[in-house]
This record gives sequence, structure tokens and C-alpha cells, in this order.
Amino acid sequence: MPGKPILEIENLFHTYMKGTPMEHEALKGTSMVISEGECIAIIGHTGSGKSTLIQHFNGLIRPDSGKVIVDGVDLSKKRIDIKALRRKVGLVFQNPEDQIFEKLIGDDVAYGPFKLGLPLKEVRERVKWAMDMVGLNFEVMKDRQTFALSGGQKRKVALAGILALQPKILVLDEPTAGLDPRSRNELLDKIKYLNKMENLTVIFVSHNMEEVAYLADRVYVMANGSDVLSGTPEEIFTDKEKLQDYQIGTPETVQILYRLKDMGYNVDIAAFTISEAANEIIKVLANGKGENHGE
Amino acid sequence: MASEFELSRNITIGQYIPTGSFIHRLDPRVKLFVFTILVIAIALNTSYIGNIIGLLLSIYLFLVSKIPISYGLSGIKPAIPFIIILGVLQLIFQGNVFSGGTVFFKYGFILITSESIRLVIVSAIRFVEIILLSSVLTLSTSTTELTHAIQSLLSPLKKVKFPVHEISLIITIAIRFVPTFAIEMEKMMKAQASRGADFGSGEWWRIIQRTKDMFPIIIPLFTIALSRAEDLILAMESRCYTPGNDRSAYSVYKAYGRDYVVLIIGLLFSILLLFYPFPY
Repeated sequence: MPGKPILEIENLFHTYMKGTPMEHEALKGTSMVISEGECIAIIGHTGSGKSTLIQHFNGLIRPDSGKVIVDGVDLSKKRIDIKALRRKVGLVFQNPEDQIFEKLIGDDVAYGPFKLGLPLKEVRERVKWAMDMVGLNFEVMKDRQTFALSGGQKRKVALAGILALQPKILVLDEPTAGLDPRSRNELLDKIKYLNKMENLTVIFVSHNMEEVAYLADRVYVMANGSDVLSGTPEEIFTDKEKLQDYQIGTPETVQILYRLKDMGYNVDIAAFTISEAANEIIKVLANGKGENHGE
Repeated sequence: MASEFELSRNITIGQYIPTGSFIHRLDPRVKLFVFTILVIAIALNTSYIGNIIGLLLSIYLFLVSKIPISYGLSGIKPAIPFIIILGVLQLIFQGNVFSGGTVFFKYGFILITSESIRLVIVSAIRFVEIILLSSVLTLSTSTTELTHAIQSLLSPLKKVKFPVHEISLIITIAIRFVPTFAIEMEKMMKAQASRGADFGSGEWWRIIQRTKDMFPIIIPLFTIALSRAEDLILAMESRCYTPGNDRSAYSVYKAYGRDYVVLIIGLLFSILLLFYPFPY
């Protein structure tokens, strides 16, 4: 399924506040290759360089050294069409609801398309599409006040504001942080839909391993400013040694399966989606009962 | 070239660089007092020599504090346009006020004399001196120390019912949040740039357009500031903050011999700058 590489990062370095006493090296040689249509999770502890890395994707930060190539465009070159790049790579920051500034929802979503200089009709279509994508009814919601919305709805509006640019790559920094469980699940489903049905390449940063297990095709683990580990969620979560080395958290299902395994039950750690894990546990329970009856 | 959005880089107010130097260890009250009288003395001194002495002194203080001088100079950079504009305005319009000395140029109301040129040069040097001095003060003193200093220097005013504690609290909060809002603004600029906003790329004469371009940053910043203020109120009240109450301090400052020495030297310098008749 994965197509040609759409985002390539090669030995990337970045230092903040260069030439001041606060100088801080945030990225020390990160490399990754992401293909069209993939859903990638970037995980790692606070200060491991995730946020710095994703800000390179749409040229907010330009590479100090190393390469960032987005859809064939080398961002280390000085003269590039930065606006076209930001149209191609939609970056949703942490707590994106802070960036809403218009009075009405429709106007706020339309800000990006208007900035592109699109005709009114196309702006309207894009706003409608973007709002539908995040599950906000265009006719009902477009004239509502932004300040009267709940946290989850505000986040949807902010996400729609980025989607209205119709990016090829969607980058999200902790998209579900601070949301209630229901809004969280809704948002995750929307992201999954965008990735699978609209064929958007999705890259997201997360601390929530349930989310990573649910969404990601592949995972990159960051530590101390470089990528230390990558693979499918199965590969990452079943590699017990590495999990401990880099202190990577795991979904609760993985923790339960590891504990069952430690207690001597024959379970498959890779079966960590909720329904698979439930099946494994039922199997253990059934076998356990069987043994008891046997004795 | 990566610093397009690095706003916090140029903000030296409210930052503290611990180097453990002699200046860092001084009593903050003494530091603030000496700083104040030096700034007054520099502001009132109009001679070349006096201001060069002041400039050398402020550079020397930077060296003693072990803070890289480049850090102090980066605080001057954003002020350069103001210094230049101020200089040009003074050169053109102040000739009639400071009309002493030799007349170099006269055309209509424009009058350039040796006195007005002196004014221009001296005020530029003065600007640099004051920026350097305030950088040394704020970079070597934590905001907590600074508030304590302000509070204890203003405490005589309590006698006339002046709200000393409240004022110093307001000052602390204001200084404390300068870097925070710089970071917020940086984040907001990046977020809006990510959805196609551009700042400052329009022609400079289209002031209304350029102001409008700032709305997507300014409006969210206001809402963030208000919600932060609300959080701060809750945090303070939940720790039983009561306005107007007498409160004791966590750290009590004691002035040592070195503090008195610095105080006396500071006073002498100020008296020198204020009263000595410099020939130039």
C-alpha cells in the first residue's frame, strides 16, 4: 500500500538560540523516510526533539544541517516557495483551539483558503468539505460563535481550518491532549478516516500508546534528539528489551499480555488491539478453567 | 535563517543567567539602588567624557558579572532604529533649543550647532549605557530578588499608605510574564503561518493591511492572557493570598561589607557624573 516517499529526513541537526548562553541542541542527526499514504506516530519523552522535528516539515524551522525533502522539494535550499510548502503540509499545533480568532466558525475555517487567494465559491466548497470531514455540519455550524464552543468542538474547528488548505500531509502535535474520552475517540476516528479514505499522509506526535496502537502504520521513537527505533507498532511493543532501554510506554493491553506471559500463560503479545487482546484473555481463562477441571 | 520566529531570543528582560559572579552575590537592594542612582546620573550628564566614563563602567560591570557581552549587545539591536530616528529628529528640531556653541548649518528653522550635535551623540551613548546597565541588573538578579529589592526600597512609603506590596507584586507579575508571552506569541505566529498567514511581507506603506495581518496573533494572545490571568488568580487564592495582609518573606537579605563598598563606589560615581565639571 505505501507509495513513493513523500517526506525524507536525512541526518538533521538543529540548535535553538544559537550564539546565546541559552544555546540548546534539540536535534542531533535524525533521519526518517515516510511514504505517501502512511500513518506515522512519533513518540518519545519530553525534550526528545519531537516538536522541533515536526516544525521542520512545513519550513517553520529550516535545517541547520542535514536534509529535509518534502515531495521532492529540498528545504535546505534557500529559495523555495514556502507558501506552497505550507499548503502541502498542514501542521496542527498542540492545543490548536488557541489559534481561533474569528467570531464565527465558518470565517475561521475560511481564513486559510482566503489567504491562498481562492475565489469565494471555492473557499465555500473547501470550508464545507473541511467541516464535513471533522463532523461539523456546515449549514448548522458555520454561523455559530467560536467562543461558545466546547473544547472538543473548538479543536475540530481548528483542525478544519488546516484541512481547508487541502494538504497532502497532515502533521498533528498531540492531537487528543486534554480532550474528554468521547471527543478523543471521535477525533481519532476522523484522523483514521482522513488517512484511509482520503489518502492523506498523517504524521502525529503522541504520548498515548493506545492511540499509537490504534492509528499508526509505523512508529518512530525519538530520544535525545535523534531517532533511535522504528517499526510497526507490533515490532515496537513486542521488543521488551528496547521498551525498557528507552522507557517507552505501552498500551495497557500490552502490559496485561506481558504480565500474563510472565505468569506462564501462552499469550501472543502482538495481539494488542482491544478485541484481539480480549480474545487472548478469554483463551487463557478458558484454558485455566479446563486445567482446574482436569485436576 | 532559522530564527524567523525565534522571538524569545531577543528578549533579555526577565531572564536570569546564573554565573555566580560577584555581582550576582550582591544584595539585590544595593544593586537596585546603585542602578537607580547611576541611571539618574547618566541621564543628567551631558558631557562627552562623562558619558564615555559611564559607557566604560557599564561594559566593566558586564565583564565582572561574567555574562557574555554579546548577550547585552543583542538587547541593543532592536533599539537601534529608535536611536537613529531619535538622533535625526534631535538633529533637525533641537538646534533652536540647544543653540549654544558654534553654528554649523542654518536653513529656515533647521539649525545645527555644536551643542545640538553633542545632544545627539550623548543621547545615543546614554541609550546604550542604560540598556547595558539594565541588562546587567536583570540578567544577574532573579525576579524574586528584584521584587524583594523593590519592596524594601519602597517600604518607607508605607507610612503614607502607599500600596508597596501590591505595586511590587504587579511589577513581578508583569516581568515574569514577558518571556511567557513571547513564547506564546512565537507559537501563535507559527500556528497562523501554518495556515497561510504572513507577517510583515506587505509593503510598509499599507499600514492598515499590515495591522490587519496582526489580528490573527493579537486576538488569540489576548484570550490567552486573560485565561492565564484567571488561572493565576485561582492559584494565588488557593494558596490563601489575601491582598493587604502583612506577610513575612521566605528569604531575608543581609547586607555584608562588600555591599557597603559597592554602595559607596556607586554613590561616588554618581556624584562624579552629576557634579564634576567635565571640560568636554
